Amino acid sequence: MTAERAIAQDIESEVRHAQEHDEAGNSKFGFIVFLLSESVIFISFFVGYAIFKTTPVGEWYPPGVTGIETKEPLFNTLILVSSSFVIYVAERYLHDYLEVKKNGKLWGFRLFMLLTMLMGGYFLYGQMVEWSGLPFTVQSGIFASMFYTLTGFHGLHVLTGIIMQTTMLRRSFVSGNYDNGYFGVEATSLFWHFVDVIWIVLYILIYVWQ
Amino acid sequence: MTNISISPDEITRGQPYPGAPDNWKRFFTFSTDHKVIGIQYIVTAFFFFLVGGAMAMVIRSELLTPEADLVDRTVYNALFTLHGSLMIFFWTFPVLVGLANYLVPLMIGARDMAFPRLNAISFWMIPVAATLMLASFLVPGGPAQSGWWSYPPQSIQNPTGNIINGQVLWILSVAINGVSSIMGGVNFVTTIFRMRAPGMTWFRMPAFCWAVLAAQLIQLYGLPALTGGAIMLLLDITIGTSFFRPENGGNPVVYQHFFWFYSHPAVYVMVLPVFGMFSEVLPVHARKPLFGYRVIAVSSVVITVISGCVWVHHMFASATPPWMRMFFMVTTMLVAVPSGIKVFGWVATIWGGKIRFTTPMLFALGGISNWVFAGITGIFLGSVPIDLHVHNTYFVVGHFHYVLYGTIVMGIYAGIYHWFPKMTGRMYYEGLGKLHFALTYIGVQAIFLPMHPLGLQGMPRRVASYDPEFIYWNVIASLGGFLLGVSVLPFILNIVSSWIRGPKAGNNPWRAYGLEWLTTSPPPVENFEEIPVVVSGPYGYGKNQPLVANQARLGTIEEPATS
Amino acid sequence: MKLRAVITISIYAVVVVFISFWMAKQAYSWLPPEASAESKLIDDLFSLFTGLGTAIYLGVMGPFLYSLVFHRAGKYDMEDGPHIEGNNFLEITWTATPLLIVLMLSAISYRTYEKMAIGGPMELVHHHVPQIIEPAYAEPFDSTPQQKIQEAVETEPTENIVVTARQWSWTFYYPDRDVSSTELHLPVDRRAKFTLRSEDVIHAFYIPAFRVGQYVVPNQEIEYELTPVKTGRYRLRDSMHSGTYFATNQSDVVVQPLEEYEQWLADASSRTPTPAFNQAIYEYSQASNPGAGSTKDKVAIRGWATIPPAPAPVVNFSTQQPPDSPASGGNAAEGQKIQKAPRQVPDRSTPDYSKLQ
Repeated sequence: MTAERAIAQDIESEVRHAQEHDEAGNSKFGFIVFLLSESVIFISFFVGYAIFKTTPVGEWYPPGVTGIETKEPLFNTLILVSSSFVIYVAERYLHDYLEVKKNGKLWGFRLFMLLTMLMGGYFLYGQMVEWSGLPFTVQSGIFASMFYTLTGFHGLHVLTGIIMQTTMLRRSFVSGNYDNGYFGVEATSLFWHFVDVIWIVLYILIYVWQ
Repeated sequence: MTNISISPDEITRGQPYPGAPDNWKRFFTFSTDHKVIGIQYIVTAFFFFLVGGAMAMVIRSELLTPEADLVDRTVYNALFTLHGSLMIFFWTFPVLVGLANYLVPLMIGARDMAFPRLNAISFWMIPVAATLMLASFLVPGGPAQSGWWSYPPQSIQNPTGNIINGQVLWILSVAINGVSSIMGGVNFVTTIFRMRAPGMTWFRMPAFCWAVLAAQLIQLYGLPALTGGAIMLLLDITIGTSFFRPENGGNPVVYQHFFWFYSHPAVYVMVLPVFGMFSEVLPVHARKPLFGYRVIAVSSVVITVISGCVWVHHMFASATPPWMRMFFMVTTMLVAVPSGIKVFGWVATIWGGKIRFTTPMLFALGGISNWVFAGITGIFLGSVPIDLHVHNTYFVVGHFHYVLYGTIVMGIYAGIYHWFPKMTGRMYYEGLGKLHFALTYIGVQAIFLPMHPLGLQGMPRRVASYDPEFIYWNVIASLGGFLLGVSVLPFILNIVSSWIRGPKAGNNPWRAYGLEWLTTSPPPVENFEEIPVVVSGPYGYGKNQPLVANQARLGTIEEPATS
Repeated sequence: MKLRAVITISIYAVVVVFISFWMAKQAYSWLPPEASAESKLIDDLFSLFTGLGTAIYLGVMGPFLYSLVFHRAGKYDMEDGPHIEGNNFLEITWTATPLLIVLMLSAISYRTYEKMAIGGPMELVHHHVPQIIEPAYAEPFDSTPQQKIQEAVETEPTENIVVTARQWSWTFYYPDRDVSSTELHLPVDRRAKFTLRSEDVIHAFYIPAFRVGQYVVPNQEIEYELTPVKTGRYRLRDSMHSGTYFATNQSDVVVQPLEEYEQWLADASSRTPTPAFNQAIYEYSQASNPGAGSTKDKVAIRGWATIPPAPAPVVNFSTQQPPDSPASGGNAAEGQKIQKAPRQVPDRSTPDYSKLQ
């Protein structure tokens, strides 16, 4: 019994240690589950889009509109997709910084994070320009509804991503911020990749499939 | 086995954060302890159960006579809409989340949920959302009146013309509830995947945890689809998009797909944890292991998978193409297989056991017998030709109330009675419990059985007035409904009085197996003195083997049932 | 001991079979009259489900209740039961059995659905001619309804009717004769083809005696076919909740012999269209003008704003009357002068089904 108890106490301390220091792991697991769950909202929108487009009850495009301009959005898309690589570089810098503790690496992280934010901001600006130039409103039929809802909902996610990045940037100036790992940065990065992938599907659906 | 251990008084009962009250007041704070949150969920949900039940009483009073002569038709429509919405979103979901919250960390040997603060946020969204829904009684035009499905174009029609109307508040309320459920889902899945005690392998995990995991997975893949549909509906009502507006080229049937893609699996979200509780309660009170435990555990996950492709059976009459009707007929009927496995397993579990008719056992047995009946009527509904006749009639209402009240609510009662001594450290009064069971069981049969002949004769659901030929069964159903209303009184009396001054129950009054019975009643803040090390499977009745290696160090003062 | 168990189980099985057959017979009496060829098919299916369902229910509940009666613990018996964790043979059996049963039920349901040939959505152009499948199960299914449907589809001209649902009224338009009515009249033993339309929200076209329920979706024209086989007066209900006065959205269906039906058509076509009485409009106007004797005063709780009902349908023929007038009786032709209109429709002999039954 005492031997068992000793074993149990050993395991107990190990488990406590593991569980207390694996909160970042739990958070990451939970965050991935959450992202998978959230992707279903977008998937349901995409499926809705496909259904509405393939079985139109009335007119698909608003009156007088035959299609939608793809050139500026394509440039916008390239900006957003490249920002995914930029944030990855930022994450690597942070990883290296935690390995070697050199401030230069941390500044690299900050710089690339800022660059990501600027690219995301440019994307949102491009969206605004596009919205203001369109000849139809949200009330002009089914394509218009779908277009504004999809791009708007995605834009909200981009904005959320930028806010998350701002937070991460601000926190990088707090001393001792990375003592318990850098889950926040990982989550921001994951979220940003998620937003990018969603945009690629969205672009194909709305701009390519006309 | 040494019998020495710490007396419960020595165990620190400190709250997760300093200065928190350690009395009834803690249930009104932003506590992050999963046990406090669990009880908060259960009690809050029960309050809304009473509100929704009061609405049902008005509905049944209206249906005593064929004419619409008790309340105005708009009021009647609002009442059945909110009755359904409250009962689903603010009673059944939260109370089961509450039970799961209380039990899952204890059963898997964790100190708390994976994300305690998220857990608290999830809970506090519930009263906010429910208040929002009930507040719609105060806005001009009244609450939503399009049923809990909120099918467009009817839900888009807005007689008052205000942006803030009952339907919008309904959508917002359901959305907040949905966010809460998704956060809960993330929390449960992470907890069950990553917080199990050492030695707690998948197939040593109690069937209840399997069922909760299966149900929460449904929440995670299903709810976002409903959210997508609800966003579109909200935009249609508020800013004039035309997703579901037929006059602008929208297609209202698409909404039905979004809605049912989640809302049929939602029934399994509600019923799976109840199946789990049946699987926990029966072995204890029949003193036998759960028969075919592995199959029962896995069948929960099978239901998760199948339930993802059955939703069109709600739309057989809804302009769906024949191939779709046929495909979904087969998938719907397939659900009977995993459900059947569970029922047979339960019957085999009690067969040859040493059955004691305690209140939780009675509720579990009653729930299972109702479930068998409801499952069979469900097969009827799964068949397209029969469904074309009884679709949207009282037959359907009878069927799903047998599931929701006859099975789920009775299962919830079974769970509450079974774990009441664990939650409070006190024992309920058996006599009142049995009275509660008798009234509930008779009431369920009296109100819901007559609905089947009514539906077969062709009485549509949701009508405020009906043809005089239906009066006979309706009067019987209404009387049964009032009996069901009365049946809640002994329950409330029992729980309140025994919580305050009931006899001390001890740590393991049922002599049950399971990690939750190895700690004190009520459990200390971090559940266990020491993380348990599990060494055997979950239902060791008649086997005489310890469940954990470090039994004496968990904070128990009684010998567990090993003899 | 073994022998006793075998005997008990055998006796119970016999009893279960007996009760199941009895229930399957009873099932017919729980349903409305069979007024269409399709309803016979559905009732047979329902009866089969009822019999099987009863057998399954009793098969599960028998051992369950037996166990509850005979396997109870004594008052001071603190022993555990036997430690049995499972039994592979049993578990495989009770996984496979339900699987086979539901697949069989799906197949039978599919066959019934095929025979009904009710058309439905997405089949706007082509006629769905059902295949005659020689039923492998001669009993209790008889092939009469199928033959009826078949003959009606092949030989008879169909009666085209446009059904319009509104909040909250039904209008039936007979395009061949340019007749509209708020009451659905159908010739017996003649294939009827409905074109279902909605002007506002989703309704459902539900005639319990015909065993049909079909949503009426705005912006879609849904075709629906059936064959009434029994004269009489039935109810048509809106079974999809469609708003405030949804419960009043009901009408009558009159199935008549062909001569009477033609008579009715001729008679109706000679009338001038007038707005029909509509219960929803009646209640709405009462509710908006509270006064002595209005319905508003009869309810305990006042209501909220509602969508106003659509204008009363302007039709040639209507029998609905306000509740305060002498109620309209069961006879559609009551109080109407039957005018001998020239028969414009060629006389077709209807097949005599009475010999088949």
